[in-house]
Amino acid sequence: MYQSHNQSLMPEQDMAYTVLADLKRVSREYAIAATESTCPDIRQLFTSLLNSTLRLQGDLFQTMQQLKMYTPSSPALKQEIDKQLRQHEQTFQKTKQFLQQTNGNVQQFSNLAGQHQMQQASMQQPNNPYYM
Amino acid sequence: MILPLTAKEMEYIVDSMSNEDLLMKQCAVTAATANNGSLRQICSQMQQVHEQHYQALMSALSYHQSMAPTQPQS
Repeated sequence: MYQSHNQSLMPEQDMAYTVLADLKRVSREYAIAATESTCPDIRQLFTSLLNSTLRLQGDLFQTMQQLKMYTPSSPALKQEIDKQLRQHEQTFQKTKQFLQQTNGNVQQFSNLAGQHQMQQASMQQPNNPYYM
Repeated sequence: MILPLTAKEMEYIVDSMSNEDLLMKQCAVTAATANNGSLRQICSQMQQVHEQHYQALMSALSYHQSMAPTQPQS
């Protein structure tokens, strides 16, 4: 007994997954090609092909999800998100301090450069605002 | 002003054409063999889009053909 006229070498789920995997790969390749292009028209071409490919990948993904062909990864736990938030809040605070200090140095340097004759006065600042 | 195509850009264009060619075929086979109607439909639509992508890449290559140098540049 023959199954039907639809005979494939692979189950349809695997076929769809192969296309999805290739769309993901091709999206990455278009992104790389766009960033490494010199001609503005070629960069524009790769950018529009990237957008079009992302749209195809998203549509296929949604179809596969509706057909229960794709199991998304399990949800992240609340305590894990809390931990990450706390860690990155600290990192961001440190980065802000670094930026303030760096910007302060830049400002001081440009002040110094503009005041050649008042060299001593500008080097002996009693309060360094960027350490506050 | 349109700049001449670099060797790197040409490689990316032809690699992309191979990718689009493969995707066209994969979509055609899936559209022809899948039992599920919505999967068949999306694959046949995607096949057409990949054909358009291929044409766009081909056009870019032929557009730059005329201004390409015939001797290696220093």
